[in-house]
Amino acid sequence: MSIGLSLPRADGAEKLSGRATYTADIALPGMLHAKLLRSSHAHARLLRVDAGRARTAPGVHAVLTRDDVPEGLMPVYGYFIKDQPIVATDRVRHVGDIIAAVAAETEAQAVAALALIEVEYEALPVVASIEAALAEDAPELFPQAPIGFVPAYGEGARGALRPAKNICFEFGYRMGDAAVFDRCDHVFEDEFRFSRMWHFHLEPFVSVADARDGRIEIWSSNQNPFPLRKELSRIFRMPENAITVRVPYVGGGFGSKNNCKTEPAAVLLSMLAGRPVRLALTLAEGFLTNTQHAAILRLRTGVMSDGRLVARQSHIELDAGAYSDASPLVAEKAGYRIPGPYAWEHVESLCRCVMTNTAPAGPFRGFGGTQATWASESQIDMIARRLGISPLAMRQKNLLKLHQAYMPGESGVDSDMEDGLQTVLAAIHHTPAPDRGLGFAVGFKDGGGVNKPAQARVKVSTNGDVFLGCGTVEIGQGARTAIPQIVAEILGTSATRIRVAPIDTDHTPFDQGTNASSGIAVMGQAVARAATAVRDQVLGFAAAQMGTPPETLRLEDWHIIRGNERLPLGPMIMRYYGGTGFEFTADGFFKPDSDHHAPLEAQCVYWEIGWAAAEVEVDRGTGQFTVTQLVVAGDAGRAINPMLCRGQDEGSAIMGYAQAMFETMRYDAAGELLNGDPLHYRVPLAEDLPARFTTLTLEQGHGPGPFGSKGLGEGAMLPVAAAIANALEDAVGIRITELPLTPERVLRALDNLEKATA
Amino acid sequence: MPPETIRFTLDGRAAAITAEPTEPLAHALREHCGAQGVRVACSRAVCGACTVLVDGLPAASCAMFLWQVEGCAVETVARLKAHPLQEAFARHGAFQCGYCTGGFLMLAKALLAENPSPSRAEIAEYLSSNICRCTGYSVIIEAVEEAAAAMRAPA
Repeated sequence: MSIGLSLPRADGAEKLSGRATYTADIALPGMLHAKLLRSSHAHARLLRVDAGRARTAPGVHAVLTRDDVPEGLMPVYGYFIKDQPIVATDRVRHVGDIIAAVAAETEAQAVAALALIEVEYEALPVVASIEAALAEDAPELFPQAPIGFVPAYGEGARGALRPAKNICFEFGYRMGDAAVFDRCDHVFEDEFRFSRMWHFHLEPFVSVADARDGRIEIWSSNQNPFPLRKELSRIFRMPENAITVRVPYVGGGFGSKNNCKTEPAAVLLSMLAGRPVRLALTLAEGFLTNTQHAAILRLRTGVMSDGRLVARQSHIELDAGAYSDASPLVAEKAGYRIPGPYAWEHVESLCRCVMTNTAPAGPFRGFGGTQATWASESQIDMIARRLGISPLAMRQKNLLKLHQAYMPGESGVDSDMEDGLQTVLAAIHHTPAPDRGLGFAVGFKDGGGVNKPAQARVKVSTNGDVFLGCGTVEIGQGARTAIPQIVAEILGTSATRIRVAPIDTDHTPFDQGTNASSGIAVMGQAVARAATAVRDQVLGFAAAQMGTPPETLRLEDWHIIRGNERLPLGPMIMRYYGGTGFEFTADGFFKPDSDHHAPLEAQCVYWEIGWAAAEVEVDRGTGQFTVTQLVVAGDAGRAINPMLCRGQDEGSAIMGYAQAMFETMRYDAAGELLNGDPLHYRVPLAEDLPARFTTLTLEQGHGPGPFGSKGLGEGAMLPVAAAIANALEDAVGIRITELPLTPERVLRALDNLEKATA
Repeated sequence: MPPETIRFTLDGRAAAITAEPTEPLAHALREHCGAQGVRVACSRAVCGACTVLVDGLPAASCAMFLWQVEGCAVETVARLKAHPLQEAFARHGAFQCGYCTGGFLMLAKALLAENPSPSRAEIAEYLSSNICRCTGYSVIIEAVEEAAAAMRAPA
């Protein structure tokens, strides 16, 4: 039996010895090394890009500028809007935008050659923030509409491309009648600001591409091999079976390694050079490549005097940065999740992606849910206090009940929200004292992606050796440990007998990507179906051999069990199939049904919930405060591997904690990132942990995944910042609506409070 | 700069690299000695993924010159074989993506050589020279505590 065991990670031998292979370790014969020339301007017209001297520099085999892109390619990429060029054409739109690339025999030669490229800019006005981009006199960042399309939506939801200047996409959702606001006893309007983090995955973006003879072979640190194959096929106008994507271990991503990063430039350089090309960015270049979305969130919430929530209108602006990347999807999620896990009569959300001259924002753990939870859970607390109701009672009154539909046409929530809240409150040992406070929050998101298909293949050899083919990338989450546990349980064998095949898009069954906490709840279902089908084949085979109905048989350690009989399968298989034996093989497929009544065109697979309770102590003299306790819980439904569940929740919670306390990207008005370097950008260290930090994995048993499981990995991040902000108000009566919760902001809020009450 | 031959020991064996002496040590170890477990991440001596031991002391090999290890004993994660730290890291799930792991193991080895009975706070402080973005650190601290206890126990 494998389910529920904290089996050690299957990648331990490789990772603890340093032998694990990442893309950074891939080397091909004749491989060249590439580097990129990046814009020093946040917004400028490119008057001249002259790479003449670079082309003849020592060791240089290929130079890529706008003049080197072959005719007939579609050299732009993006999820729904294809607006990001492989190399800049007419203008640059952020500091770090890619202008040129060089492939040379060594990295040092590539760097030296880049210095010989002459670029003449004509500076354009810069819009480095949401406000600046929306100003009436702001320059238009994309004078011509890029290619784009709107995803399909169901009841109540809609999307639009370029609804206004510098807005690449907006998502809207509406349910119920706005007239209910007139019946509300109170309507509260509040504005929140959400900061912007960088993923800080330790393995920098890296690809090795070999694009010769009409084929592309690429190794890449990428979490979505199949969407990458499709995007490369579109850019280079090549059939998908001419492209092979291989993904070794990935050294962290947290969202950043979705879709194209280094891949198109590496492929194009390899085509130009006729040699394999390795393009490895530095960690610092990551800051210029993809980030979280900063946001301004305005909420208008109508309530009754007894605390019953009635209606919520929200208006969210996301800072999408210079290219649209995944912003339309993040907007959809932020706009859809902003009501939070509460029962409403009316909801109206609008979320817009605002283009600015900053690094492109894209997928980041939480994916719009972190922004939404920060605002929603802050405001729920604020309203409770204004009405003189306890924040707990306020939530108890309004939380969705288990199985209650989130929105009309949507699936029911599959966690007991109040049970989770009571669990974290019971685990935090809070005793009131002056300047000490308790806060809590419920993080909420639809989990498992939207309408996401997954396929898997399970094979068992004559001796009972199992092969699993599945496209879930091992990015740290433990997919290669937990997913085999599902197979082992179904086949009645040990997880150590399961070999997970390396990812290679020629052989690996199709998968949409390693994202949206979908590994267990979506891919896990495909894997469970494949394993069940193989088991049924084996039992059917044995039943035919034994002349007995298959229902009387069961599989255990590659033996057939019938009553007290225990027959080894190997000899039975060889008697029938011959001495070389056989492989039983089956595929499994899972996709939520398409459903036009569901707002996002398919019902949510499962709901990913995170509960947090925080205790803070505030020094009124300095504004410094300490999180003395942090308790975070997630609901695994059923924990396939409790050790891995804890790992996901704990890492996630600390990212939320860092965002609450200090971690943030800082841009100036000229679009220059002030702390875009590992030395100046602060991420949490071991010594930053709260004095008491506990994560709890709940197993409420209502998940749709194998054995009642759900996904984890993002939920625990969602509620942390709001819980800490709520604790600050409990401690000293201040309300901070902007992240991070720095001592300066605390001190200013304390001063303002003193002035207001003086 | 003309190449020079730098001699040192790597994981207990004699090593010699003929290269520019100002080449970053991490790069030299990976390219010339196949030391794959030395991971390069920040290249700024900030994250510690490239941590090796030089004469027993932890060092960020991305920010050292090759010439600095002339005559020194250099140890990488490949030196560890069924080490109590590796076993404790496996038991506690003290790694996820694994990119920082070699560096953390070497850092923890240096800590336990210096202080065989560190308190939790001492472990957290010492390990704060490296970055792990995945785990949230608690499991790494627990693994180091357990390895320390195992290494103190009489054989």
